[in-house]
Amino acid sequence: MPAKPVEIGSLSFARKGDANDFFRDMLYKYELGDKVTSKDAEILTHLMHMHPEATEKIGPGIESFSVRTADYGTRCFWVNRVDGTTEKFSFRACY
Amino acid sequence: MKDTELFDWLTGEALRDDIIRLTQITVATEITNLDAIHESADPKNSFDWQQLLLAGSLLARSTERTHQEAALRIATAAVTLETSPEVRDAGAVLLEKLSNRRSVELAIRRNRIAPDLEGRLGVSMRLEANRRRFEDSILLESSGKWIGVNDFQRELWAGASSGAGWLSASAPTASGKTYLVLQWLLDHVRTSKTKIAVYLAPTRALVSEIELSLKELCQSDTGIEITSLPLTEVYFSSTTGDKKAVFVFTQERLHLLVNLLGEDFSVDLLIVDEAHKIGDNQRGVILQDAIERVSRQNPMMKVVFVSPSTQNPGELLEDAPNDMPKTSVNTDMPTVLQNVILAEQVPRKPKEWSLDLVWGDSPIPLGTLKLSNKPAGLKKRLAFIAAAAGGRGGTLVYCNGAAEAEDVALLISQLEGSEKTDDQELLDLADLARKGVHRNYQLAPLVERGVAFHYGNMPSLIRTEIERLFRDGKIRFLACTSTLIEGVNLSCRTIVVRGPRKGRGNPMEPHDFWNLAGRAGRWGNEFQGNIICIDPKDEKAWPVGVPKRSRYPIKRETDVVISSTDELAAYLENRNIDSLADLAQGEEFEQVGAYLLNTYIRLGTLSDAAFAKRHSPDTLRKLDRSLEGISALINITQDVLVRHPGVSAVGLQRLLEAFRKYEGNIENLLLAPSESVDAYDRYVTVMRRINANLYPVFLPDSLIPLHALVVVEWLKGLSLAAIIRKRIEYQQRNNRSFKLPVLIRETMSMVEETARFKAPKYISAYMDVLRLFLTEAEREDLIDEDFDIGIALEFGVSSITLLSLMELGLSRMSAVALYEKIARDDLDKEGCLAWINEHGPNFAGMDLPNLIVRETLQVSGLDDPEAGHEFSE
Repeated sequence: MPAKPVEIGSLSFARKGDANDFFRDMLYKYELGDKVTSKDAEILTHLMHMHPEATEKIGPGIESFSVRTADYGTRCFWVNRVDGTTEKFSFRACY
Repeated sequence: MKDTELFDWLTGEALRDDIIRLTQITVATEITNLDAIHESADPKNSFDWQQLLLAGSLLARSTERTHQEAALRIATAAVTLETSPEVRDAGAVLLEKLSNRRSVELAIRRNRIAPDLEGRLGVSMRLEANRRRFEDSILLESSGKWIGVNDFQRELWAGASSGAGWLSASAPTASGKTYLVLQWLLDHVRTSKTKIAVYLAPTRALVSEIELSLKELCQSDTGIEITSLPLTEVYFSSTTGDKKAVFVFTQERLHLLVNLLGEDFSVDLLIVDEAHKIGDNQRGVILQDAIERVSRQNPMMKVVFVSPSTQNPGELLEDAPNDMPKTSVNTDMPTVLQNVILAEQVPRKPKEWSLDLVWGDSPIPLGTLKLSNKPAGLKKRLAFIAAAAGGRGGTLVYCNGAAEAEDVALLISQLEGSEKTDDQELLDLADLARKGVHRNYQLAPLVERGVAFHYGNMPSLIRTEIERLFRDGKIRFLACTSTLIEGVNLSCRTIVVRGPRKGRGNPMEPHDFWNLAGRAGRWGNEFQGNIICIDPKDEKAWPVGVPKRSRYPIKRETDVVISSTDELAAYLENRNIDSLADLAQGEEFEQVGAYLLNTYIRLGTLSDAAFAKRHSPDTLRKLDRSLEGISALINITQDVLVRHPGVSAVGLQRLLEAFRKYEGNIENLLLAPSESVDAYDRYVTVMRRINANLYPVFLPDSLIPLHALVVVEWLKGLSLAAIIRKRIEYQQRNNRSFKLPVLIRETMSMVEETARFKAPKYISAYMDVLRLFLTEAEREDLIDEDFDIGIALEFGVSSITLLSLMELGLSRMSAVALYEKIARDDLDKEGCLAWINEHGPNFAGMDLPNLIVRETLQVSGLDDPEAGHEFSE
C-alpha cells in the first residue's frame, strides 16, 4: 500500500515520516523557552487546526507558539493562547 | 638577673614540676571517664601555694605567651581545685592581674570564691585592685557607661578611637574582639559625624549573628538603623535625614548595594571582620575588590580590620590610600587555658585510651580514658571517645563532611547520657527540622536527645538555633564540619578531632587547625578548653603530626595567584579559548584573572595598582603583556565590568558577541519571571548560554535542568521543605531510587551554592550584558528596570511582601512560612507588621513551628523581651 501523503497548509509531505522529520527538526532548532518565528508559527497554526482536540487546545485563540519541556524531560511545542494560558501538544497527533 | 631570665627560670626550672603536676590535676577535672594519674592527690596540701601564687604574680608581668600561660595555669588551678578559700581568693587576684575579670566573675558565679572579694583584701591590695579595674575599663562616650576590658580590648579601643584612618587588629579567638568592636562601632556612630557604616562578615550566618547582636545592643535607640539587606531606602534616609545606618553585609551584598547606588555610594566607616578571609580561594578576591571599590569612592573612609590570631595584621593596611595614618593592634595572650590532648589506644585494649597533654616537646600523661563500647571503625572511634571524654557537654566533634557529621551524631545519641528530653526548646527545634526540611530529617530525633550536627548548607534559622542551644548547654554534643572555621562564632568546652580536613579532602594547615582549636574554651564560661586529638601518630590522619601552635599568615589571594606568574599569564592568554569546556585551571585562576583584567582596563598597566609594590617589575610586565592582548578584545564599558567582580571581562564580551550574532527573535534572550510558565525553560537556556560563553558555571551540563529547577523554585519563594518534597516526588514518579539523607543534603547544597551563590553572580552579569545589547539594538522597551535578579536570587524572593518580611529581619524560612498565610503580595514593611499584629494572636492555630512564631514575634517587637540572645566571643 502506498504511503499516505500529508498536507499541512501549503506544505505537502509524501509520507508521515517526512512530516515527523520536518517537525522534529523544527522543534530541535530552538532553545528551550524560545518562541518560534512567525514563519514557523504560521505552519504550526495550520497544524494546530488539524489536531483532533483543536477546539479545546486553541481555546479563545492562538497568540504564539513556544518550544518548552513537558514534564521536565521531553521537548515539545506549546500553544500560547490570547488569554495568557498555555498548553502543550504533540505534532504527531495532528496527522 | 633580668626579668625575662627570672621568668624563664621560674617556668623552666624552679617550678616546672609543680606546674606540670598542677596542670595534670586541673586538666583531669575536665574529662569524664578518666582514670587520672593523680586521682588521689590532695591539692590543698600537696603544693606550696604561697610560692606558686607569688611566682604567678611575677609571671603575669611578662609579655611572653609562655609566661602568661603559666601564670594563668596557676591562677586557674588555685581557683578551681579544692584549695582553701584564701588560696582561691589569691588565685582570683592573680586573674585580675592578668586583666582576666571575666574569669573572676565566672569563679564567683560557680561559687569558687565568695562574692565581695575586694572586701577581703588588705588596704594596699584593695587600692591596687581599684587602680587596675579603672585601667581595665573603657568609657562609652555615648552613654557615660564603663565597660570592663582586657589589655587587648583596651588597645583596640584606643587604636580605633585614635586618629588612625586604617586599623588592623588581631587576637586569639576568645579575646572578646567582636564584642568590643560592636561596642566601639555603636559608640563611634553615636558620637561622631559618621552617618553610614558597613560591617563586612564573610558568611551569611555571621552576618545574621552580627545583625542580631547589634540590634540587641541598641534596642531602644531609634537613631541608628541596622540592616543586612542592600536597601537604597535605608541608605537615602540616612544621607538625607537625621538617621544613621549600619549595614551588615557579606562582600557580595556590599557589591549589590554599590551596584544599586553607583558612584554616589558614600561610606564613613568600614569594618572587615574575619579579615584574613581575603586569602580565600574564590571569595577572597570578591572581598578585596569590595574593599578597594568602596575605598576608591571614599578615600577618607575609616577602615577597621579584625582577624583571629594572625602573624601579620599590618599586611591588611598596605593598600591604604597614601598619607592615611595606619596602626595595628596585635596580641597573642591567652584568655583561657587551652589543653591539647593526645589520645592513643592502649595496646591490646580497644576500650582503653591513654591521654597525654602536649607540653613543649614531651607530652605529660593525664590518665586512661575508658570507653563503654569497642570502637570499630573510625567514625565509632570519634563518636565513642567524644562521648566518653566530653560527658560534661559543650563537646564539639569535628567531622570531615556533612555525611560523616550525621553518622557520628547518630552514634553518640545512642550512648549513655543521651536520653530523650522533654525540654521544650529542643522539641521546638526538632519540630522545625521536621516541618522546615523533611519529616524524616535525621536532625529531629537527635536533637530530642541533646545531640546535633551542623554544616554549611543548612537553613540559617535551624543552624543558629542549634548554635544557641549548644551555647546554652541543652545540646551537649555537636558534630560539625569545616563550616565552623569558615566564619561561625561558636566556642565550646572540648573539641574532639581526628585527621581534620578542610573542605573536600585537603589536610588542614596548622593555622586552620589552631583556628579550630581556638574555639575550645569559652572565655567567661569556662576556665579551660580541651582539644582531644585522636591517633596523633597515624600519618594518614595527621600527615605532619598534630600541628604546633601557629598563627595565621594573612596573604591576599590575588598576591598568591600573581606569584604563579607563568601559569597565570598562560591562563589569561588562553582565556578566550574556542570551547570553554576545555579551559583548564579555572578554579585557580578565573577569579584573580578577572580582577587583574579589570584592573588593567581601569589603569592601563598593573604597575599603577596598589598591589604593584609587592611584586617584581618583571612579573608585572609579563602580566601586562598577557592582559594587553585580551583587553584589546573588550569594549564592554567599565561601569558594567566593575559591577561583576570575579566575572571575566573576556566572558562578558563573548556573551555580548553571542547576542549580536543571535539570529532568532531577540525576546528569546530574555529571562522570564519565575511565575511565568516558561520560566524553567528560559533558565535552562540562559544557563547553557552562560556555560558556553561566560564561564562553565552550572556543572555538569547534564544537570542544568536540575540547577534551573531549583533556581526557579527558590525564586518563586518555595520553602526548602517544598523544594525537597518536589524532588522526592520527581524521583518517585520516574521510579528512581534515592537515599533520603543524601537527597536532603544535595538539595540544601544546590540551594546554597547554585541558587544563592552562582546564579546571582552569573545571571545578573548575563542580564547586564543583555541590557547593553538591547540598548545597542534599540530594544530598550524590553528592559525591565524594576526587577533586580541579583537581589531576588540572593534572598530567594519574588514578591514585595516576601522581601518586606525579610527587611523586618526574618530569616527566609520564617518569611516563606508566613507568606504562605498572607494573601497579598505587595505589602511593605508596615503592612507586614500590621498583618503580624492582627494575626499574631492566631498563630497557634496556623500550625506554624514555634521557632518561626518566636522569631516573628521577636522582630515585630511583640515578644517577651527577656528571651534574649546570648552573645558569644
